[in-house]
Amino acid sequence: MAKLTLPAQELMYSGHAACPGCGPALTMRLVLKGLGPRTVVSIPACCWTVIATPYPTNALGVSVLDNPIEATGASLSGLRAAADALGYKDLNVVGFAGDGGTADIGLQALSGMLERRTNAIYVMYDNEGYMNTGVQRSGATPLGAWTTTTPVEGSSRGKPESKKDIMSIVLAHRPTYAATINPAFPEDFVRKVEKARDLTGPRFLDALTPCPPGWKYSSEQSIELGRLATDSGVFPLYEVEDGKYHITRKGGALKPVDDYLRAQGRFHHFTPEDVQAVQAEVRRAWEHLLLLEKETA
Amino acid sequence: MIEIRFHGRGGQGAVIASELLAQAAFLDGREPQSFPFFGVERRGAPVTAFARLDDRPIQLRTSIEHPDVVVVLDPGLLRTTPVTDGLKAGGLLLVNSKLPPEEIAAPASVRRATVDATRIALAHGLGTASTPIVNTAILGALAKAAGVVSLAAVGRAIDQFVPARPEENRTASADGFASVRLAGPMEHGAPAPPHRPTPLITVPDGPLATTPSSTLHTAAWRTLTPVIHLEKCTRCNFCWKFCPDDAIGFDANGFPVVRLDYCKGCGICAEECPPGTIEMVAEG
Amino acid sequence: MTRLVMSGAYAQSYAALLAKVQVVSAYPITPQTSIVEKLADFVALGKLKAEYIKVESEHSALQVCVSAAGLGARTYTATSSQGLLLMHELLHWASGMRAPIVMGVVNRAVAPPWDIGADHTDTMAQRDTGWVQIYAESNQEVLDTVLEAYRLAEDPMVRLPVMVTEDAFYLSHTVEPVDVPSGELVDRFLPPRDARAVLFPGVASRLGSFTGPDHYVEFRRDVARAMENVPATFAAVEAEYERLTGRSHGGPLSTYRTDGADAILLTMGTAATTARGVVDELRAEGKKVGLAKLRMFRPFPVHAVRDLAATVDRIGVMDRSYTFGAAGPAATEVAAALYAGPRHPTVSGFLAGIGGRDVTPGEVRRMFGALLAGEPTDIRWIDLEEQQELKIDG
Repeated sequence: MAKLTLPAQELMYSGHAACPGCGPALTMRLVLKGLGPRTVVSIPACCWTVIATPYPTNALGVSVLDNPIEATGASLSGLRAAADALGYKDLNVVGFAGDGGTADIGLQALSGMLERRTNAIYVMYDNEGYMNTGVQRSGATPLGAWTTTTPVEGSSRGKPESKKDIMSIVLAHRPTYAATINPAFPEDFVRKVEKARDLTGPRFLDALTPCPPGWKYSSEQSIELGRLATDSGVFPLYEVEDGKYHITRKGGALKPVDDYLRAQGRFHHFTPEDVQAVQAEVRRAWEHLLLLEKETA
Repeated sequence: MIEIRFHGRGGQGAVIASELLAQAAFLDGREPQSFPFFGVERRGAPVTAFARLDDRPIQLRTSIEHPDVVVVLDPGLLRTTPVTDGLKAGGLLLVNSKLPPEEIAAPASVRRATVDATRIALAHGLGTASTPIVNTAILGALAKAAGVVSLAAVGRAIDQFVPARPEENRTASADGFASVRLAGPMEHGAPAPPHRPTPLITVPDGPLATTPSSTLHTAAWRTLTPVIHLEKCTRCNFCWKFCPDDAIGFDANGFPVVRLDYCKGCGICAEECPPGTIEMVAEG
Repeated sequence: MTRLVMSGAYAQSYAALLAKVQVVSAYPITPQTSIVEKLADFVALGKLKAEYIKVESEHSALQVCVSAAGLGARTYTATSSQGLLLMHELLHWASGMRAPIVMGVVNRAVAPPWDIGADHTDTMAQRDTGWVQIYAESNQEVLDTVLEAYRLAEDPMVRLPVMVTEDAFYLSHTVEPVDVPSGELVDRFLPPRDARAVLFPGVASRLGSFTGPDHYVEFRRDVARAMENVPATFAAVEAEYERLTGRSHGGPLSTYRTDGADAILLTMGTAATTARGVVDELRAEGKKVGLAKLRMFRPFPVHAVRDLAATVDRIGVMDRSYTFGAAGPAATEVAAALYAGPRHPTVSGFLAGIGGRDVTPGEVRRMFGALLAGEPTDIRWIDLEEQQELKIDG
């Protein structure tokens, strides 16, 4: 067999209840490959509540604790406190929350956890909407996207507002480490998880996780969409350690966002002007990121 | 009162079929009730929906255990789901299938009907080959085979409540009505599947869930199966790396093996395989 | 044993110290603040070896305890009023996860309008959350009850969270002598937590889970059974505590001079002290009255209430909160408990001490007077009657 480029151990069991082609499922699989079995995962109400399968079954080969949707940050503080009090020094304390549970209703607890420098890893799996409840818009839904609460009909043409910049909010708390991860680039992904694992203090991983039913595309496209997201600059791969930015994938010129948008039903109503608006936003953010990398080098 | 149970897959439109039936029956002047089974089913997973039709307001709010009619939107479910569980003697089993109704296995007392709703849906551009939207074609077939609702009412319900492609959906329902085939009960039917009551469990000392989910099989979610043509395989492991279901294992020589109990047929492995050795083949 | 003059707030802090809690979470709210301030001192001075987590909300305060308890730690937090209301969602999580958290609650009025006075609306609004609720009458009772609460909460037959409540200011900011048992003695009474049914690192398991109606009922029934195990377990815990310290606070419901009484007034929390004095006065005047002190509201001591009714024909229930559109919560529960019992004395509801208004001896006399005179049992806002009289007198 060719050498595996990722850890062989599987800590996410088969038989889970994710949709076919689920980005969050692959993301959990890769996160646990990077972390290993000495891990406790706190999961708020999100797709993974269900994916992890009903009582008495469990889809993860680690310790799992459920928490209400807005409290993941606090749960991590509690788990770390108990781990310290009980002498579990080598335990990875990890939150695995959706974008709504992180960037919207969970923002207060996340901010609290980052500010009090809880020694834990917070993974936001961003499928850009409330997908577990059937595709409603969240603060992380991108500009113009169709959702059931930002329909494309009558006076509504998708989400009128831009996506919340959760990485900037997190970085304002000066975490030990923050990085964007994309399951379409699994080696880069797992390397960052392992790096986060070996650091202490608050660490944040922002994963873009394509969602076939929510983004309206065919399930086999999940990896290709992730690849397009990064290579078009919609979701650049970078990490920030001690305030220093480092872009971990630079493939020369960015691809146009057109291919990425066109592949998804949630953007099918886009006019050329809509595409241009997204393109301009993406280019601006990319140039800002390049500048940050240069300035903090 | 007529009780109807729909079996489909998440994303296929079984719940909407049940709702449309209720709307159509209402237009016919009847008292309908329609509701989904509230589970956590995901796209591709088997789902159930229920409908009751009567001439008087319905005085029941429970799941349907003994339906008069069972409608199966996906023929693959016949292999994995006990769809005829509780179906009344003399009841009707309507299946979306290319096969003639005589070839559908069912308990002896059951009348059978088939309609090739997938072909009809695709002919009218409804859905894709992997996910055809068959609910309107099958409602037309139901109108004919069970006589519980008029085709005209189905058409009007589609016009009022189907936002996308009402014209195509209405034609599909008419095609379903025209092409459904019926067969009477068999002399020697397939044995009725044993009725399995929901197991009652006692929560043990503490509410900890400890059984691995790999005890649950998700093969029934699949409509397409990956077939690996090993002669071209380079053992690059891309199929393994990108599988969201950890449904790719390896044989003794390091060649990939699909773990069919778990594969949901998403097609990522076939799409990502650099030499293109994996083919997605339609189930049944 | 040491005897210290301390506030009811500090009685909570000292009890948590003696219980060697391992994780404390804290978010300030008047009049709870001095509880967590004192605990911060204990931790800073090295007297208490606990992780002290300063959270950004009460919701997070209780989540910290729930998650820490899920890994097997002994946890403590305290709150009051609005903070308890914000915790409401997590209260259900704590009991559903069978987390043996002990929480101090300073009973305070709920806004609007803002009022920091004693009132039981905050905890009464949490009756249905699966927590054991114990209402204390004195600072000594606060300290003793918190220690007993850990034994009760962590008992394998129970494994439920417990809130130990005290009236704002009447206890939280009132200083009085408290016997503080030695650490050695408390260690004998309260060994380290027997951490069953918790997550162990390296062992795959899920705490919380989701389920459908097929298993959910069993989860709820198990919590119900745990509640049913509370009275017997608590009796054993109290007996052992009494053996070690010589002190008992009389179980879930205790009585005072109820022998041959024509009328009994049932109260909770600090009002019991004043009422006890009035009973002595009235008995001296030849009036046959007695007092019942309801200490444990959840589980509700149904049988003790029925025993109370064995000889008396008139029971008054004083509530320090009101369920709008219904009645006082304690009065409702007393009446419900009696209905299925053999004797049906009249039950009169009195509302007094709402929002921190004083429950005066005069008010207690008025309640006994109404009971003895056989006045109609309709709910009465004693606070308002008193004020009208004062206005008339003035």
